[in-house]
Amino acid sequence: MKNVLYIEDDREIGQWTASDLEKRGYAVEWLTSGEGALERIQTADIVVLDVMLPGLDGFTIGQRLKKEAPGVPVLMLSARTSVDDKLQGLHFADDYLTKPFHPDELAARIDVLLRRFGQPAGQEVRLGHLTVRPDRQTVIDNRTGDEIPLTAKQLQILLYFLKHPNQIMTKEQIYEAVWGEPYMEGDKTVMVHIRYLRERIELDPGAPTIIETIRGLGYRVRQ
Amino acid sequence: MKFFKLKNSLLSKYLLIILFALVLLPFTFPVIMIIISLPINQGDGGFIAVEERYKDGLKLERMWHKEAGQLEGASDAEIDSRLMGLKEQYPKARLFWVDDAGRTRLQLPVNPEIPATWTPFYTIQFMKERINGDPFTIVAFIGKKQDGFMVFEIPRTIMKPVGARVMDSYNTIIIGGTLLVLGLFLFVSLLFFYRIRRRLVRLQTAMTEPTESGIPGVVEALNSDEIGRLETAFNGMVEKLESSRLREAEEESLRKELIAKLSHDLRTPLTTIRSHAYSLRTEQLTDKGAESIDLIDRKIVYLSQLIENLFSYSLLSAGKYPYRPRSVDIVRMAKTLFAGWYPVFEQEGFTIELDLPEESVHWTIDPEWLERVLDNYCQNAMRHAKIGRYIRLEVSSESGGRIIIADHGPGMGGDSADKGAGLGLSIVSLMLKEMGLRSVVSSSGKGTTISIMRVERIEFPPIG
Repeated sequence: MKNVLYIEDDREIGQWTASDLEKRGYAVEWLTSGEGALERIQTADIVVLDVMLPGLDGFTIGQRLKKEAPGVPVLMLSARTSVDDKLQGLHFADDYLTKPFHPDELAARIDVLLRRFGQPAGQEVRLGHLTVRPDRQTVIDNRTGDEIPLTAKQLQILLYFLKHPNQIMTKEQIYEAVWGEPYMEGDKTVMVHIRYLRERIELDPGAPTIIETIRGLGYRVRQ
Repeated sequence: MKFFKLKNSLLSKYLLIILFALVLLPFTFPVIMIIISLPINQGDGGFIAVEERYKDGLKLERMWHKEAGQLEGASDAEIDSRLMGLKEQYPKARLFWVDDAGRTRLQLPVNPEIPATWTPFYTIQFMKERINGDPFTIVAFIGKKQDGFMVFEIPRTIMKPVGARVMDSYNTIIIGGTLLVLGLFLFVSLLFFYRIRRRLVRLQTAMTEPTESGIPGVVEALNSDEIGRLETAFNGMVEKLESSRLREAEEESLRKELIAKLSHDLRTPLTTIRSHAYSLRTEQLTDKGAESIDLIDRKIVYLSQLIENLFSYSLLSAGKYPYRPRSVDIVRMAKTLFAGWYPVFEQEGFTIELDLPEESVHWTIDPEWLERVLDNYCQNAMRHAKIGRYIRLEVSSESGGRIIIADHGPGMGGDSADKGAGLGLSIVSLMLKEMGLRSVVSSSGKGTTISIMRVERIEFPPIG
């Protein structure tokens, strides 16, 4: 069961949301202020934080929590205008939802965040006929049980996709994340590397199923 | 301006310069005369006596004729010795004599221009030239029988008294002196205006180069003349601007706080209503009851959208949303933004068309602003054009670049299930305007096409 640290000052909303999340199978710890949040962060899997809290501002608490435990995702709930909130930025928050939110949407966002953050190093990821072990930096073909040899860059690209499951990544984003330098206009490096990567991991590189091409935008790996 | 303040006036300063020049001018001539004649007057008296000797042309003429007359019948040697004697008496004169055969004899000193033999033609030419010519020439026949003639030559300048010689250059002195005073006057005037100009330019620089707060800095007022007073007035204005800016900033933060509080106070009960409506759905309900709950939920979303738009518009129109322009590749930006929207449209079964150029297109805009605008258009397509199940995003690099978003919805005139109050779009147009962009919307029953492009405008230098 995943632990949700929920910080909300409004009792009506807090009570209702906490019980709704519990019904959905989460263990919820609900605080009406930022006090004591820092002590409880270590046991939490995710933080749902209201921006407008009495005493300390939600932004301030969020920043402190993130500093204390960078691996725990923070979802901000806000009743302010998004323009106003955008001024302060979402530098620390991992997602953002404005009130009045729909309970289904809140649950869906929590799910996504947990999936994104919830794969501790070492956990294996299944992708079609492949099993990826990020901790061992290996990719195994499930049909034969053999390891598929990949170059360092090919592996890095694959792991980058796993870090952003179901998201479309542009070639610029991939290049800058994997190569660590600004993308130069017209560079074909990413395209070439993905072609070679597909030759290794796809069943039919001509009709790829693991790394999907979104024409005009980039690539996506679904989980 | 009062008259007793004249001493601190630029006008009085300049009048003083003109007055000084006017007074100086008439004194120039006598002063220069004195300066020039000073060394002469102080010279030794002997010098003046020598000059005296040559002063009177008539006297010299009488003396010369008398000498010539006395030499009647004298031998060549006698004539020579007499001339030598006269030469001692008149050292500045040139003396020579010609005998009756027209041969030039003794010359004191020798003049190469004088021919050895005098032809009648040369004699006439010589005489003609020397009448009233320079040097002053006296020709006298020796004796009565015309045994030849003797010549006395002296440069005319020597004959003139000192005063007359100075008088000769009177015009030069007057013109020179006037020019000198005029030049001096012009120079002082130039200096005067140059200093005024420098101070004005300094003031202008202070006005046009604002400090970080956007308000010009205070200048140092050094004098109490007109410009000094202008500087003081300018400083007063800067102070007023500064205080009004502070007041404005204070009001701004109050306004922001108020909007944040209002927004919070409106949204919090809405959240409660929504969550309870959601709870109701899980209860046993008739079809009509379920329908009502759906309606409530939709209206809550609509209301919160209105609140969002209203407050955003209020912040934006008051210029409280900071605009930080920089050069942005809009192709890349649109691509990344649409990569986020793609799954949403995909899930709804939209046909998605993309047309993005390979090369980059740079606009100088705030990327956060443009993202918000494009998000708004995408959201509209998602909300109001669902029936069309089609979205197209195009970025073209032609004519400064353009972004096109097209859908196959019922168009702007059409009826959508949850139609906004148009406030969202006015935020968008306000933001576009601020970014120097404009949008062209063509809408019909078959769909809406929105093109965003740059407004061609003349670049003005930044003001304030």
